[in-house]
Amino acid sequence: MNDTVKTIMANVFRTDIKNITEDLNQKDVVFWDSLRHLNLIVELEEKFDISFEPEEISEMVTFKKVIYYINQKLVK
Amino acid sequence: MKYFVFRNFTVEPLFSNFAAEFSGYDDISEFNSDSETFVWFYNLSLNPDTNLQISEIDHFYDKINYLINRIPATKDFYIFTLVDLFSFKWQNSDFSLDSRIAEFNKDILSISKIKTNVKIIDLADFVKAFDRESLINWKYYYTSHTFINPALSEKFQAWFLKKTNAIISLRKKCLILDLDNTIWGGVLGEDGIEGIKLGNNYPGNCYSDFQRYLAEALKNGIILAICSKNNEADAIEAFEKNPNMVLKMSHIVAHRINWNNKPTNIKELSKEINIGLDSMVFIDDNPTEREIVKEAIPEITVPEFPESPYKITSFFRNVLNDYFQIQKLTIEDVSKTILYKENFIRDNYKSEFTSIEDYLKNLEIEIVVKRADKFTISRIAQMTQKTNQFNLTTKKYTENDISRFIENGDMVFCGSVKDKFGDNGITLLAIVTFDSKTNIATIESYLLSCRILGRGIENVFLKFILNQVRLKGYSKVEAYYLPTSKNGQVSDFYKKNDFLVIEENADSIRYIRELDEEIEIKSYYKFFYEES
Repeated sequence: MNDTVKTIMANVFRTDIKNITEDLNQKDVVFWDSLRHLNLIVELEEKFDISFEPEEISEMVTFKKVIYYINQKLVK
Repeated sequence: MKYFVFRNFTVEPLFSNFAAEFSGYDDISEFNSDSETFVWFYNLSLNPDTNLQISEIDHFYDKINYLINRIPATKDFYIFTLVDLFSFKWQNSDFSLDSRIAEFNKDILSISKIKTNVKIIDLADFVKAFDRESLINWKYYYTSHTFINPALSEKFQAWFLKKTNAIISLRKKCLILDLDNTIWGGVLGEDGIEGIKLGNNYPGNCYSDFQRYLAEALKNGIILAICSKNNEADAIEAFEKNPNMVLKMSHIVAHRINWNNKPTNIKELSKEINIGLDSMVFIDDNPTEREIVKEAIPEITVPEFPESPYKITSFFRNVLNDYFQIQKLTIEDVSKTILYKENFIRDNYKSEFTSIEDYLKNLEIEIVVKRADKFTISRIAQMTQKTNQFNLTTKKYTENDISRFIENGDMVFCGSVKDKFGDNGITLLAIVTFDSKTNIATIESYLLSCRILGRGIENVFLKFILNQVRLKGYSKVEAYYLPTSKNGQVSDFYKKNDFLVIEENADSIRYIRELDEEIEIKSYYKFFYEES
């Protein structure tokens, strides 16, 4: 699943997949802006057929957090 | 930047594949005037008070008027119609908001009829494909201030592209139709003229409706041709004698009804009606024929034909939406199919004369040349966008580009050709720019519609233009040819007309010609010049 998420992120952020590291954090990079954050959430919801709550969306600002919340939804 | 979008919601995801900049939310005070095209994309705010919503529309209208006066008239301004996405009624009998929205949409449409740079895009056409729940995503409405669900972005962009293509007129020109089980049910050779299925009962009613749409397509400037494996005489008899036929042979510009293979027939049709294969859409119920045609002619469009007759109407409406959308028809679009027929008679007449000179003398050719004005500008822009074959530079211009040439003092000539068989309308175009420092004129664009070829008009029109350039006091004219996959037939046009090559490489050939004296034009071409 990590790889699927990386591919989605690389597409949405229009960057090379090499730049999507496990330590990725929104505050460290310019390509993860608020608009692309919205696009990312839309893509993830579509891909995994899940829906995030606004509170979760504002938490999902690192690669690890993104994976964490996806897993949480998938377990339910 | 291609687009500058005025908006009052988050619409960025809906334009992510386009080069676009956005205004602040509901901010019309500033915009990037270098943008190629401006877009108005507002939605009503969510407001429980209907009266406040109505007054919001009044403000929209005022703002649009303010912008129309500030956006350069030479740039396109696309205005989206208003749709009540958040529609809610306190009283079922209250239609005040609906009528105000309808009025607003009517008003912006009226503006577009006066201001040529204003183009209306009907958002209702997009919205109708979805139910309310999937259109609005309340979570993103409240967290990101979107009004259209960002999950629909891809679909929106595909739709928007079709609409803008219709505005710049990238539509196909010709439908090539099969007969059996396509425009009628059954097989003519087996079922006979009375036995083919047409009329009021299923499945005949499906084919009758299809024919009604085809007849209407013709009125909308779409050319119809037939390519069918049948006996020609039988098929023509079916057109004449079956009382339920809506289409008549007179609607068909050209046909190939024989037992030859379809790719060969289609290529012949393309030559006969002078329309490129890439401007054709082939409709056939037989998947094998579709495959063969697709394989042999990759340029042609071949949509999948439905297996059930009741799906044909919706199939054909999709074909029209996908390939034949147009923002506004010109008179030339509508009379085109008649013109192609006249050409056919003219060619037959040609064979009666021993010399081409005699033939031309007897045609009584009259060429009316005008300088572009507001009545011809839309046709001129359209010609630059649509003419691919006899076009030396294939530069595409909008109405606004043409206005700019006129404002700069350049010369935009258009011409129409008439002879004893008919009037072809505006089919000639030349744009000449002038550099007063070097005293050299340049032919930026030179093109003519292929339907008037064969009468030497391409050469005399050039001579006429060169004489006008000379009268303006310029003794040197430059011209150039930019090769494309389609304009090979004009590669040596300037050379044939006494121009000298000054620079040649793979992407372009530059020419020059001295204009020492007036160029003689054969007297059987009668020129009328309206300088306006």
